[in-house]
Amino acid sequence: MTDILHNVIYGFGIALQPINLMYCFFGVLIGTLVGVLPGLGPAAAIALLLPATFKISPVSATIMLAGIYYGAMYGGSTTSILVNIPGEAASVVTCLDGHQMALKGRAGPALGIAAFGSFIAGTFAVIALTFVGPSLSNLAIAFGPPEYFSLMIVGITVLTYLSSGSMIKALMMAGVGLVLSGVGMDTISGQYRFTFKIQSLLDGVGVVPVAMGLFGISEVLLNLETEIKRDILTTRVKNLFPSLKDWGESIWSIVRGSVLGFFLGIIPGGGAIVASFASYAIEKKISNHPEEFGKGAIQGVAGPEAANNSAAGGSFIPLLTLGIPANPVMAILFGGLMIHGLQPGPLLMNNAPDLFWGTIVSMYIGNGMLLVLNLPLIPLWVKVLRVPYYLLYPLILLFCLIGAYSLENSTADIMIMLIFGMLGFLMKKFRYEGAPMILALVLGQKVETSFRRSLIMSHGDFSIFISRPISLVFLITAILLLIIPIITQRKKLSTLEE
Amino acid sequence: MGKADRISGSFWFVVSVFISYESNKMGLGDLRHPGPGFFFFWTGIVTAILSLVVIVRSFKKRPGEGEEANPSIFGKRIITKLVLVLISLFLYALLMEWLGFLIVTLLLFIFLLGAIEKKRWPIVVLVSLIVTALSYLIFEVGLQSQLPKGPLEFLRF
Repeated sequence: MTDILHNVIYGFGIALQPINLMYCFFGVLIGTLVGVLPGLGPAAAIALLLPATFKISPVSATIMLAGIYYGAMYGGSTTSILVNIPGEAASVVTCLDGHQMALKGRAGPALGIAAFGSFIAGTFAVIALTFVGPSLSNLAIAFGPPEYFSLMIVGITVLTYLSSGSMIKALMMAGVGLVLSGVGMDTISGQYRFTFKIQSLLDGVGVVPVAMGLFGISEVLLNLETEIKRDILTTRVKNLFPSLKDWGESIWSIVRGSVLGFFLGIIPGGGAIVASFASYAIEKKISNHPEEFGKGAIQGVAGPEAANNSAAGGSFIPLLTLGIPANPVMAILFGGLMIHGLQPGPLLMNNAPDLFWGTIVSMYIGNGMLLVLNLPLIPLWVKVLRVPYYLLYPLILLFCLIGAYSLENSTADIMIMLIFGMLGFLMKKFRYEGAPMILALVLGQKVETSFRRSLIMSHGDFSIFISRPISLVFLITAILLLIIPIITQRKKLSTLEE
Repeated sequence: MGKADRISGSFWFVVSVFISYESNKMGLGDLRHPGPGFFFFWTGIVTAILSLVVIVRSFKKRPGEGEEANPSIFGKRIITKLVLVLISLFLYALLMEWLGFLIVTLLLFIFLLGAIEKKRWPIVVLVSLIVTALSYLIFEVGLQSQLPKGPLEFLRF
């Protein structure tokens, strides 16, 4: 306990340095902005700004990039409530009741409860992170190649299990991501793989240009087709502070959302999007007036908004303690830390305590900044939303082009981004998801080397994966996740036939 | 999605078979010492099986079952716009190092706003100039991104 207290004080020392405070502020400000803007999510924004962070210290860089992520969770709610367009995916459910509240003239309390709920949940997640992080790090130090292999398989399986579309398609995309991770030099044999004598493939396919293509460019291409409709509320937003009655109705939704979101955030493959949907479902189920959901129930805003923020905090745990990114945003952050010469994982806390504790504590501060920033700046965000899309999309494209080029000052990364932009567009059209591909691309190299190392350790005996208890538990989880959908589908089919 | 699934499933099937073929060429090794192609050979096989499942299931689906029945995936009018935007982006990448950041960015914006969005030319030129100058100041001067200068090498801020 005293250790944790000591570390938190040390973290405050790092996070309160003026330079880090400034980057934290930039991070949450940019995050809120990308959260507000439809068509530019936190994954694309972090990918875009990553090259710009190469010149600053890794601690400041991580503080800023983390700020973008949880800042986007705040910003996303604003567009959901006012325009009925989710600024980013984790705010989709907020549209359901948030916009209804706005139509009834209660935009103020909806925005207010979303901001306060997010603040409470964000703070809860950071406190929980402070306690859970170190113990998980200590446990993970005992992990060998088989445990890592099994854990990462669970991560990929969870993401495919939670995918909104077909699980088979999600698994296929994970397979493609694994293969993409193999492009370049094999770390064990030194042989080049899948490079086809193309110079720019020798170093492998970078996560960042692929993510920018799949999430940034493809999103713009889709929006070009659909022409975003905007009917922004013209009435002035007032009474941002929720009334006592509002608080009474939503406080337990916030508490439930915080706890649920945190645990869904920790699970690799989980994250903010799933957490917000799960929270909405739970709130509707336990409500005494479920018929009010979809018509402007404040619980339908408070719960999911709390859950997505808490999950954003929770998802830092697998990254910082196990070296496993829980979602695409963390995958890009993982890539960023590697570029800064840091290996995310159980040793990070010892090797770079300033980064570990500085980042965690900066989230306390960032959450406070967001609360102060978000409420008074809402009129400004509404103005940003009025920027017409014909002007916005060339800007987003330009940012992506500059971002991809700046990675290694090479146009090859732009080409990779554009190719994956086209692929991402087609994937969305054919209902394939990009997230499993990115996660597998990030984890792929580690999955493959830990798989091969395990087999070398056991002299080719596969039982090494099930004879070690931790690895066995992970594998059973993965198998259950694969089997459950088949069983439930069978049941559904048989009831239909009856 | 029946027809669409057949097309996409077939595409991924071919890709997966190609992956396994390439991995096999790299050397599979044995279980005691898995070679560089071992893991991806099996990944390719699994992905190929999954894509076959997608194809087979697409025959069982009736239109409108679970998903929207609309067989058309792309709006016809929009295809030209998408293709033009993509071509301009690829050209941007190809010409960037030769013409430099300032010129290609200006041209890209003039093309997107003028030719694609059909805005009035004075506005197109004005907005393109402002965006190019601002992005140069932010990324090159502010963030020191080292963008290519091209023939305007002499311009040093």
